[in-house]
Amino acid sequence: MSRSLSIRAVLLGGSIAILLLVLGAAAWIAYRGAQHEADEVFDARLATSARVLATLMAAHAQGGPAAPGVVAFPPPLDHPYETKIAFQVLDAQGRLLLRSASAPDQPYAPLEPGFSTRDSWRVFTLQSGEHWVQAAESDEVRDELCAKLALAAVTPLVAGIPLVLVLIAVLMRYGLAPLAELARRIERREPASLAPVALARSTAEIDPVLRALNGLLGRVQSAIARERRFTADAAHELRTPLAALKVHAQNAARAHSEAERHASLERMMAGLERSVRLVEQMLALSRASAARAAAFAPVSLNQVVEDALDDVLPRLKERRIKVSVASDPDDAELMVHGDRDKLTCLARNLLDNAARYAPAGSAVRVGLGAAPGAATLSVCDQGPGIAPELRERVFESYYRIPGSPGDGSGLGLAIVREIAVQHGGAVEIEDGDGARGTRVRVTLPAAASRAARDT
Amino acid sequence: MRLLLVEDDELLGAGIEDTLTRARYAVEWVRSGPLALAALEHGGFDAVVLDLGLPGMDGLEVLRRARAGGCLAPVLILSARDAVAQRVAGLDAGADDYLVKPFDVDELLARVRVLQRRARGGATNVLEHGSVRLDPVALSVTHEGRPVALQRREFMLLHKLLAAPGQVLTRAQLEESLYGWDGSVESNALDVHVHNLRRKLYPGVIRTVRGIGYVADPPA
Repeated sequence: MSRSLSIRAVLLGGSIAILLLVLGAAAWIAYRGAQHEADEVFDARLATSARVLATLMAAHAQGGPAAPGVVAFPPPLDHPYETKIAFQVLDAQGRLLLRSASAPDQPYAPLEPGFSTRDSWRVFTLQSGEHWVQAAESDEVRDELCAKLALAAVTPLVAGIPLVLVLIAVLMRYGLAPLAELARRIERREPASLAPVALARSTAEIDPVLRALNGLLGRVQSAIARERRFTADAAHELRTPLAALKVHAQNAARAHSEAERHASLERMMAGLERSVRLVEQMLALSRASAARAAAFAPVSLNQVVEDALDDVLPRLKERRIKVSVASDPDDAELMVHGDRDKLTCLARNLLDNAARYAPAGSAVRVGLGAAPGAATLSVCDQGPGIAPELRERVFESYYRIPGSPGDGSGLGLAIVREIAVQHGGAVEIEDGDGARGTRVRVTLPAAASRAARDT
Repeated sequence: MRLLLVEDDELLGAGIEDTLTRARYAVEWVRSGPLALAALEHGGFDAVVLDLGLPGMDGLEVLRRARAGGCLAPVLILSARDAVAQRVAGLDAGADDYLVKPFDVDELLARVRVLQRRARGGATNVLEHGSVRLDPVALSVTHEGRPVALQRREFMLLHKLLAAPGQVLTRAQLEESLYGWDGSVESNALDVHVHNLRRKLYPGVIRTVRGIGYVADPPA
C-alpha cells in the first residue's frame, strides 16, 4: 500500500512555495519600480547639471574662448555618490574644451541631444550655442540605490515568512482537528460498537464524510440486527420440532414393544420431514432477503408457474387438488424482469399454501395477467380463507393462523412478500372467487419498466 | 394418576402423550387455550403439562385464569420461551415448574413425579403402604419384598389410591383416572381391577365404600 499524501504536507508545502513565489515577484516589482523612479530623479538631476553647466559656459564664453583644460573640482565632501558624476564640455566640432577630473578625454557619447547609456555610464547630451555639454553618471550609483530600496521593501516581508508559516500551521491544525478526532474515535471504538460517530466540532468538509459514515454504520447495524433476529427466531422456532424429534427418539429407544418402537419411529420420521422443511424454508427466506447478487434478467412468469407446479405436484396429487392456469391475454408469454429462481420459489410457496390448506379434491386457479407496466400472478383456492384482520399478520415470519392444520413453517408468505418486494412488487390477500377461499395476488413491474427501476 | 397435556403441536403432543402413557399415566390431551381452561375448570387432574403458545388463548392467560378460579393442580410449563424473564413470568403466573423445549423425556417424567410428590407432601417417589411398595420410577410393585406383576390399569388404580391414603375416591374419579373422558368403560371394569389387586396383594389393601367408591386405608 502506498503511503497517502498528507493534506497538511501538501497545504504547508504549497503555502511556502506560493509565498516564496509571491515574495520573489514582489521583490522584482519593487526593484523595477525603484529603478524607474531613481532613473527619473537621477536623469532630472543630470539634465539640470548639464543646463547649469551650459549656462555657465555661455556666460564664460563672452569673455573669450576658453582654452581646453581640466577643471578640478573641489575635493569631495565624502558624499558616497558625489565622485561618480562627471562632465565634459565640447566645441561644435567635438573637441574637448573642459572636463571634470573623473571624465575621459574622449566624448562620452555621440553628440546627439538627449539621454544615452555608454559603458555603464548614463549620459545627458545638451547643445547650447557653440558648445556641447555632456553630464554623465555611473550606473553603479542608481543600481546600488535601487537594490537598497528593493531590499528595504522586501526585507520585512521575508522576515515575516516564519511567522506566516507558524500561523498557517496553527490554522491548519485547528482546521484539520475534526479529521484527527474522527480518526481517533474510529480507532478507539469497540469492534462491536456501531453507534453513530459524533464530533465535538465539525466542519463543512467533514460533515459529508461523517454523514456517509454514520449512514453506513446505521445500515450495517440494521443488517446485523436483522440477521440476529433471524437467527434468534430460527433457534426459537426449531425448539418445538426438535423437542418432538427428541421425544419420539427417546420413546423409540425406551419402547416396551416392537409396535411401540415402530409407532415412535414413524412419528420421528414425520418430525424429521417437518424439520427439514422448516430449515429449507428458513434458508429460502434467508436467501430471498439476501442482497440481490445476480443481475436480473427477463423471466417468463408462465415458465415460473410451470416449474413451481412441477415441484408441488406430489402434494397436489395426494390431495386430489386440480390446478388450472389462465393467462390474460390468452396464451401470451408474460415477461417480468427478475431472478428466475426467486420467482419460482415465490410461485412454489403460493401453490404449496393452496395445496396445504385447500380442501381435498378442490380446485386452485392460477391467473397470469398484464396491467399497464405490471404483471400479476394470482393464486385462488377454495380453502378456509384468511380473516381480513389477519391479512397483514400472515406475512410475518413464523406466524401461523392459530389452529391451522398440518405442519406449515409460517414462513411461506413471508418468503413470497420478501421476493415480491425485492422485485419492486407487492402482495395482497383478497377473498377468493365467490367470497370464499383465498386469493393471493402478486404484482410485479413488467419487464419493460426495468430501466426506470434500475436507475 | 391422571395428567392434562396442553400442546397445540400435533407431533410433539403425540410424543409426550406416548411418553406419559407408557409411564402409566392417564393422559388427557387438549390443543387450544380455551379447551385447556375448560379442562382445568372441570378439574380432576393430578398434574398439568402446559405449553404456552396456544391458539385461542396464551398458556399464561389460561394459567392465570385457572388459578384465579381456584385450580390447585400442580402445573409444569413446557415452552420454547427460554428467557429468564419468561420463565419468571410463567412461575409467577402460577406454574410449579418450568421446562424449556427441547427437553429430555426422563427429565419431564422426573419433574412430573416431583409435582406429585410435593402435592401429597411425600419425601420420596416410592409409595409405601404397609407391606406394599409402589415405585413409580421403575413402575414396579412389591408385596412383603416380593415383586408383584400388575397390569397397566391395575398399577394405575393402585397408584391413584396409594397416593391419597385414607381418602375415599368415587367410582367416577377412579374411572376417569384410568380411562379419561372418552375411554369406553365397561360398567364393572373398575370392580374387576379392584378384585385383581386384592387377589395379587392382600384382600384388605383396598376397602369398598358402598355407594361411593374405594379407599386405601392407612395401615394401622
